[in-house]
Amino acid sequence: MSAEMREANTDGPVFADHVSLGHYRRRRIIGVLGWTLCGGCFVLLAFAMLDILFKVLKGGLTAINLKVLTETTQGVSGGLLQAIEGTVVLTIGSVLIATPLSIGVGVYLSEHRNRFFSKVVRFMSDVLVGVPSIVLGLFGYVALVAGLGWHFSVLAGSITLAVMIIPYISRSVELALLAVPQSLRESAYALGASDASVVARVLIPRSASRIITGVLLGMALSMGETAPVIYTVGWSDYLWNGQVTHQSMGYLTYVIWSFIDQPYQSAHKLAFAAALLITGMVLLITVSTRFTTRYMTIQ
Amino acid sequence: MATTFENSGVLDKSANPKRFRQQFSGKLIQIFSLVVPIILLGLIIFLAINAWPAMKLNGVSFLTNSNWNLGSQYGKPITVDGMQVLPGANYGILFLIFGTLASSFLALLFAIPVGLLAAMFISEIIPSRLRESVALLAELLASVPSVVFGLWGYVVVIPVFSHYVYPVIAAILGFIPFFAAPVRSGYGLLTAGIVLALMVVPIITANMRDAISAVPSADIESAFALGSTRFEMVWKVVLPQIKRPLIGVSILGLGRAMGETMAVLMVSGNALHIPKNIYSPMSTMASFLVSQLSSAMEDPTGMAVNSLVEVGLMLLILGVLVNAAARLLLLNTGKN
Amino acid sequence: MAISSSVSTDAEAFRDSRDSQTVDQRRSSTETRANSETTARSMKSNSKPQNSQMSKLSVRDLNFYYGDFQAIKNVSLEIEAQKVTAFIGPSGCGKSSLLRCFNRIYELYPGHMATGEIRLNGRNVLDKKVDRNLLRSKIGMVFQKPTPFPMSVYDNIAFGVKLYERLRRHEMQERVEWSLKKAALWDEVKDKLDKSGASLSGGQQQRLCIARAIAVKPEVLLLDEPASALDPIASAKIEELVHELRTDYTVVIVTHNMQQAARVADDTAFFHLGEIIEFTDTDTLFTQPSEKRTEDYITGRYG
Repeated sequence: MSAEMREANTDGPVFADHVSLGHYRRRRIIGVLGWTLCGGCFVLLAFAMLDILFKVLKGGLTAINLKVLTETTQGVSGGLLQAIEGTVVLTIGSVLIATPLSIGVGVYLSEHRNRFFSKVVRFMSDVLVGVPSIVLGLFGYVALVAGLGWHFSVLAGSITLAVMIIPYISRSVELALLAVPQSLRESAYALGASDASVVARVLIPRSASRIITGVLLGMALSMGETAPVIYTVGWSDYLWNGQVTHQSMGYLTYVIWSFIDQPYQSAHKLAFAAALLITGMVLLITVSTRFTTRYMTIQ
Repeated sequence: MATTFENSGVLDKSANPKRFRQQFSGKLIQIFSLVVPIILLGLIIFLAINAWPAMKLNGVSFLTNSNWNLGSQYGKPITVDGMQVLPGANYGILFLIFGTLASSFLALLFAIPVGLLAAMFISEIIPSRLRESVALLAELLASVPSVVFGLWGYVVVIPVFSHYVYPVIAAILGFIPFFAAPVRSGYGLLTAGIVLALMVVPIITANMRDAISAVPSADIESAFALGSTRFEMVWKVVLPQIKRPLIGVSILGLGRAMGETMAVLMVSGNALHIPKNIYSPMSTMASFLVSQLSSAMEDPTGMAVNSLVEVGLMLLILGVLVNAAARLLLLNTGKN
Repeated sequence: MAISSSVSTDAEAFRDSRDSQTVDQRRSSTETRANSETTARSMKSNSKPQNSQMSKLSVRDLNFYYGDFQAIKNVSLEIEAQKVTAFIGPSGCGKSSLLRCFNRIYELYPGHMATGEIRLNGRNVLDKKVDRNLLRSKIGMVFQKPTPFPMSVYDNIAFGVKLYERLRRHEMQERVEWSLKKAALWDEVKDKLDKSGASLSGGQQQRLCIARAIAVKPEVLLLDEPASALDPIASAKIEELVHELRTDYTVVIVTHNMQQAARVADDTAFFHLGEIIEFTDTDTLFTQPSEKRTEDYITGRYG
């Protein structure tokens, strides 16, 4: 299987006249054992990955039906309609807030990238990526839910999620703009274009597909998040009434966490249905961005 | 490259009607540069302000005792140092610090070797035409929401490991104090460590693959030309060159493990004390923030929430420190 | 140590018997092929008379492919022991590819494939049964760019030795000193053996790589444009060294620098588009080339 094993298939020690053969054999055995160990680790990882997908798919497919998609939750049974709605609203809300800000940050980082301050911003942005999302939720809670008195609400949740994804999206905007050839910038400026029109008419359209990829990945992150949403959106069995504050809302990730702990079959089924929906959407976005990125690089 | 915006003002633009707009757009971009610093500072300031009463009340004992007690809900709040507190309330999070460090340590203990060796296997043994699809699999693992990891831990790891694996470990390693039976439910430190490890492994594997592929092919050819086996080549020539990124990404993984909330919440048992052995229930700082939210909100004095915010502030500082360290390490590697 | 030396002796005997066996094989194979067209052509181009008794490496009908592209076409030649043989030719002519066949380093890359025979001490090294690691302990290689490993000078040398021999500490120290002296580097680095190999100058690094290769005690040394990345002075030192090394090793050097070939090589082969155009002793090749293409190339009229 491995290269070592193929190598070990010699019938005799040719060219071995000046080496210690026992020592050499030991080296080969160590190689085979080493690669077996590596292969074992890889198999472990692949198995866990496939098992997660399999369990979610199996549990989800047996649980999902029309009722789940069309009815709201009643206690720990019923459907997931309001949770699906909430996840969609929160995701779109957070992306709508985060994208314009992130594009601004990304443009700043790429067009001023040698400034000291832009290095500071980039470093801070990297550090912000590492702040646990629950801490962002806590921030949303003390600043928006309690501080501004919005209570558990769509707006508090969307802003919190937006804060979480801004560093990711702005980083991908920066990388997208950096990929635009410098000559294109120069020729636009040579025609007398202003900074604003270079950014708006040349840089952003040229890198639009990469920027969209970044936004989609931010969307996937925001969709799969749980902890900060618990702290800012709460939970509700009812459909959204359109209010952006003072109105808690349902969302899918809550169902997975909260319902799997309940001693009812209906609750477990809803948890798995929610897991399938969320995992499916997140993986769909990840895979599709992967393939479009590859397609673009080939182009 | 020279910064583009400054360079565009070569012509005298006093006669240019667009001048205002141009200057404005230049300034606008400058304003965006403040978004991230404002968020980071805002986070620190808001949390610090809200944690301040708790910090004054709890002092150092916050970190040194393991007694988290919200006090009597129905009692009349008493005044301590000018602050309203429920009678009997005590906030000590030593058990959380222990739980956070122990579960992250276990996670890294599993994840670093597994992630590194799997990366070696993918880079060196998997045929190149399959490599991208295999790497995609690992990447997908990284994008699975953490609550789904928690679900998997709940329905797979807990029943399987508590029945088949932990009893064996307890039998073999039982002579070490912390590893002895009883095993009980399966909710606990070791399960949390295993689930966290699985969440950290993809980060390590992806970064180590990049690092391995950045090793100059000249070094690889030279190692082979001297008669190394492939394993020796990787072990003696590649690994020494990826030490720094390995350390950097391990710290990054540590940050991820310490801050992970949902998966730990679902498999750790959420006990309010230091676990008796490696199999028994515990809490981490992050998971505690969620598990305690609703009871803390019941406290009319607000001190419970303030104390939770103090936990959050600590988590924030830890996260910032760990991440800054990792980034600095990875940054310097890029230059070398 | 006792065990390992007795093993070596066994292996020695083993090799000797195999040697005599394969010399016979080689004769018979030469006879059977004497009439074949390919051999006839290579005989014609290899105007240099070959003495098979003295040849260390003998290449027969070698073809080499990068995927669909054939980089070497039916090449045959004999490389003599204790001599420096240079391969020259325009880039893409297959000279480096041939070098990379000798120690099968090309096998690192999928799609690279060689057919034909390369015999070292009579044994076909391209035979899949031949262990390529042991082969590489017999045939050392030095690359175009200096490639010291990111470790100390001492560890760089010890790296290869440790793979095949279990030496005591002082034996290893002796070996390191021996190989560094052989590579004319000892005097320059004897005080900084524990310094990183990367801290040496480019020329020193390249001599370190040569020392590292000879520390394993190979029989053949392959040098792939070893001086092309170096300044003229460092380059001259390498050339001097190469010239000295032939007393103990069979050296094959690929170079794009014709003066260098003229200075260091005993024999020179001129390659063009994957074929050997002319292979003879260096003086003859550079003064009285028998082929028009060789003459064009060495006088700079090529291309």
